[in-house]
Amino acid sequence: MKKIRMGVGSGYWGGLIEPAIEIVEKGDIQYLGLEYLAEVTLIILHKARAKDPSKGYILEAVDYLRRVLPTCASKGIKIISNMGGANPMAAADEVIRVARDLGLKGMKVGVVLGDDLLDRLDDFLERGLRFPNLDTGEEDIGRVRERLVAANAYIGADSMVDALRAGADIIITGRSTDNALYVAPPIYEFGWDWPNGDWDRVGAAITVGHIVECAEPVTGGMSCLWKEVPEPWRIGHPIAEMYEDGTAIITKTPGSGGMVNTWTVKHHLVYESHDPKNYLMPDGIADFTSLKLEDIGPDMVRVTGMKGKPRPATLKVCMGYEDGYIGEAECTVTWPDALEKAQWVEKFLRERFKIIGLLAEEMRFDYIGVNSIHGPRATPPKEELNEVRVRVAVRTRTRAEALKVRREIPILMGAGPAGTTGVFDPPQPRAVWSLWPTLIPREEVPTRLIMKEV
Amino acid sequence: MGRKVQLKEICYARSGDKGDICNVGLMAKDENAYKIIKAQVTAEAVKKHFEGIVKGNVERYDLDNLQALNFVLRNALGGGATRTLMMDQTGKAFGNNLLRMEVELPD
Repeated sequence: MKKIRMGVGSGYWGGLIEPAIEIVEKGDIQYLGLEYLAEVTLIILHKARAKDPSKGYILEAVDYLRRVLPTCASKGIKIISNMGGANPMAAADEVIRVARDLGLKGMKVGVVLGDDLLDRLDDFLERGLRFPNLDTGEEDIGRVRERLVAANAYIGADSMVDALRAGADIIITGRSTDNALYVAPPIYEFGWDWPNGDWDRVGAAITVGHIVECAEPVTGGMSCLWKEVPEPWRIGHPIAEMYEDGTAIITKTPGSGGMVNTWTVKHHLVYESHDPKNYLMPDGIADFTSLKLEDIGPDMVRVTGMKGKPRPATLKVCMGYEDGYIGEAECTVTWPDALEKAQWVEKFLRERFKIIGLLAEEMRFDYIGVNSIHGPRATPPKEELNEVRVRVAVRTRTRAEALKVRREIPILMGAGPAGTTGVFDPPQPRAVWSLWPTLIPREEVPTRLIMKEV
Repeated sequence: MGRKVQLKEICYARSGDKGDICNVGLMAKDENAYKIIKAQVTAEAVKKHFEGIVKGNVERYDLDNLQALNFVLRNALGGGATRTLMMDQTGKAFGNNLLRMEVELPD
């Protein structure tokens, strides 16, 4: 039966480089997926493009490609990536420049455009689209219109499949879903009848994409079985071996660290999903409730029985808007009476903030080591604590207000209880970008492909 | 009355975020454990467990094929990763938190 092996080079911005090189060299893969875009990443990239029109894509991906492009070219590994972020064309131009530097002539690069809706927003609004907020239920985007810095539709595999048919060796997109990077190759390779039928098989590719797309979290990372993971410091990246009939084997680069078994796959199947019968993606809807997992060898899990349904009529859109600043700072208080001192520091800062008239939209104190993560469910300490780290975080409208938080905490070195320490240089205020998740009819977001050559 | 244990004895968990929603996947270690969590770890019980943290509704979805339950916790992350003041901005630790919940083992 026909099969393809798709490797994960990147599952998030800032991931490991060595396993991403290793998978190209030793993974025996035909496709390499490079995913970089979390919700906030795209906003950061839009800001970068606004500052410099030649930027707005993932610069690190270019550095990585410089190291693997010759091997990909000689082995015929096709690369699909959403490294384009807010500026896919600039990313493609830069990749072409790098390929030319490396002497790689004749490579074809497909650039997928159409996900960026920011310039079309006024037109949409004039035509009566209101973009209700899926999280809050607010019915109209109007309130934040002026503060919007990003609006991208999550696009699927359509133009990627076109690019593969046009002979692309490298495909660069903006906000395509992570998932589509692994859905396009089997549709193209196996000639599935899509988007008209073959929904179970497309559902299978979506499920497989979901299992591998984050990289390490399916090869032993983030696992409750963390104690059993071999050589996690050289953890391998996942490989999805996809079969024509819509079954798959999940594995990883041979000889790498980490592990793949039914537990690691299960861990990731439930990750960042809502209704498991309806895992909505632009390319189809996957159902996770019928599939079977089976350990068939070391670091090999067979996935069968995957199902799917026709793709949704709408696409998800993520908009981001500027929403003030966060000022935060920390200090450490110590035995004796560490917890009492922590409470004293909180009281001290709350009073100080009143005196200086800090305009806070929200304020939070955390006692790190006590309850900063599990909140009211954390077990109260039974014995005297050796130390507590106190964190204060405040959201403000302006940067100047957030800076006040930074300025107050060093005062504790002079005015705080005995032994107060570890103030260091508190972080600079960080800008807050709030998200506005919404939907748009699919026909409003036609994507288009531009083919270029090295 | 059966003996009480924390979910960490009989389950694994993984959690993550989508905007202001956190989801927790609770995986039973064996078939018996799955029967126990299916009967006792209701959406209401999880909502109560996260009292003071999760402000919205909790929904439960069952994956019998994986012997796992998926909980969707709405309005859970202080506005979502980009604006929350919470330390656990992407809800990665909610799974471990749920493993604190106690269930009763049958006699």
